[in-house]
Amino acid sequence: MSNTLPALLFVGSGVALTLELLIGGIAVGVLLGTSLAILRYMYKGICGNCIGRIVSVIRGTPLILQLSIVYFITPVLLDCKLSILATGIIAFGINSSAYVSEILRAGVESLPKGQFEAAKTLEITSCYMWKDIILPQVFVNIFPAFINEIVSLLKETALISVIGGMDIMRKSQIIAAEHYEYFTPLCLAGAYYYGLVILIEYIGQKIEKRKFYAKNS
Amino acid sequence: MLKIHKVSKALSNVRILDEVSLDVKKASIFGLAGPSGSGKSTLLRCIQKLETPDSGSIDYSCRVCFMFQDFQLFPHMTVLQNLVYAPTLKDKANAKEHIDKAKMMLKNLGIESKINDYPRTLSGGQKQRVALARSLMINPDVLLCDEPTSGLDVSTIMDVVSLLKSVNNIGVTIVIASHDLDFLTKISDRIVLLKNGKIAIDIIPSQTPNSVETLKGFY
Repeated sequence: MSNTLPALLFVGSGVALTLELLIGGIAVGVLLGTSLAILRYMYKGICGNCIGRIVSVIRGTPLILQLSIVYFITPVLLDCKLSILATGIIAFGINSSAYVSEILRAGVESLPKGQFEAAKTLEITSCYMWKDIILPQVFVNIFPAFINEIVSLLKETALISVIGGMDIMRKSQIIAAEHYEYFTPLCLAGAYYYGLVILIEYIGQKIEKRKFYAKNS
Repeated sequence: MLKIHKVSKALSNVRILDEVSLDVKKASIFGLAGPSGSGKSTLLRCIQKLETPDSGSIDYSCRVCFMFQDFQLFPHMTVLQNLVYAPTLKDKANAKEHIDKAKMMLKNLGIESKINDYPRTLSGGQKQRVALARSLMINPDVLLCDEPTSGLDVSTIMDVVSLLKSVNNIGVTIVIASHDLDFLTKISDRIVLLKNGKIAIDIIPSQTPNSVETLKGFY
């Protein structure tokens, strides 16, 4: 028990990397996922099929494999060494983009076609239509699913320990290996992850309560 | 003003329009009647380029705006934002003028108190007015109205008649698709009844005794 407080602080110091990976990964995932969803909706021919195939491959392969590819193969191909943080953000971002694009696609498909047509009849250009008319409505509709994706990604960031990232999981493993005692460090890691999940859900609920407009006119 | 020449359109292998030809005069109110599925809405959608005709041509060189049956107001924007968004995009320098114009229009339509409300809080008649005002904000030469009286009570329909007539008085050509024959005969300068995608009858209500009965005979 005397080691609990130092262990708590040591494992807690991994929260920073976990959050950096989560925020970076979600930012890349949202930007890339939104672009993929819009392109897939607008170009339903060959381009749409290609995007669908890419999304399928990303969703159909393990995240640890994608992380390993970015970490071990990208430096060979691009002749540059990526930091663990950059590797994590790229891999988690690409992985998340596939899920975000599917969530967004469902949200866009659920909007009345008339919203697109109304924008067209008012001579609103495609760029502004997506930015100001379609996406604000879609984000409201998909918000619970989006929070779910953030929670999933938070837990998946633990995979960064595989390539040496000093996150919550990795630090709990170090404590466990030092003291030959796994129960307390792993419980601490679990508590940190669950605490972060509670925080994300709380922020999500606060934002959801601020949705002051109707979903349908 | 608006020339429709032998327009045909099929949807899911069903022929909706069959070589329809029409000529709409400037500053007139043109009624499109007909039973459900007769092709009224499809013709309006072809004029607005929301659908592409399989054959034939639709010629006009003016600004056309479409008023949807279910209004399609933007739910995340207030009434004022719905009105000024599109014109401000095109002409950011005159944003203040657009707001003033929108306020004036809402006042004329009797819904100035709803200016900061969201569409979900409006009644059907109020949404109708907002949709009309939003269409007028982009200064259309032709206004296409799809079933503008659908779901409205008698007194609101009378309001719609006077509203559309006042819009017509400022020189806007109006094309209305409706199955409400009483409404169409009250408001239109000319009515064409479509049946099975073809023109069944073409009348001028002011010169046709018992217009409603005449049109009903073709249903």
